[in-house]
Amino acid sequence: MEERLYDLIFICRPTTPEEEITKIITTLEHACAEKGGKVEKLEKWGTRKMAYRVAKHREGYYVYLQIKSTQGELIRELERRLAVSDVVIKYLTVRLDEELKRQQKFQRKRERKAARRPRKAAGGAAPPAEQAAAQG
Amino acid sequence: MAEEQRSQSGPPSGAPRREGGQGRQGGQGGPGGPGGPRKGKRQFFRKKKVCRFCVDRVDFIDFKKVEMLQPFVQDRGKILPRRMTGTCSRHQRWLGEAIKRARNIALLPFATGM
Repeated sequence: MEERLYDLIFICRPTTPEEEITKIITTLEHACAEKGGKVEKLEKWGTRKMAYRVAKHREGYYVYLQIKSTQGELIRELERRLAVSDVVIKYLTVRLDEELKRQQKFQRKRERKAARRPRKAAGGAAPPAEQAAAQG
Repeated sequence: MAEEQRSQSGPPSGAPRREGGQGRQGGQGGPGGPGGPRKGKRQFFRKKKVCRFCVDRVDFIDFKKVEMLQPFVQDRGKILPRRMTGTCSRHQRWLGEAIKRARNIALLPFATGM
């Protein structure tokens, strides 16, 4: 299976101590390593206000991970761990690679278009130069 | 809320009619069509909105960047229609997807502002 890129965000209760959160992150990283996945990015967004109440909390500690994996099984395992955990109140995994592919497609298209345009501009710019040369 | 929507839908529906009127004025001598605005009663101009994502050349709308999504959502969490924001159809589609994802992880509200 080809390599896939995932975004994984989870929210902890705002009252959880820092160590607990780092513990969760390390267990997730271990689970990743076991299944041959790789954590590309890790960001702790910290405590921020949530848009609606979750588990009677209005705030939550956000943690963001970007994971590369060839096995979908890994995601199931990570989600299971998050679901089991008491301090994690919400989590979301989104597959990103297909959208990135789409983004690259558009970028390439744009580059091709940009590459075409200067040639046209150069073609348009050349005659005046010639004219100037003729005049001079 | 429904009332609000109706009032919003009012003016933009007038805009195409104005354009149609101009077209008919160009081709004078024709049948004029039903209720052709010959005298040009509606003279208000509406600035043509441009898709902000197209201007900035955005190829991917990230659901994690809430500040980016915020202007396209009402206070209570409704996604603003294209006719309000001027977003092109492709970007509106991506935007909707991103907003829905952001809602799932409590970055944006589903319905109310609590």
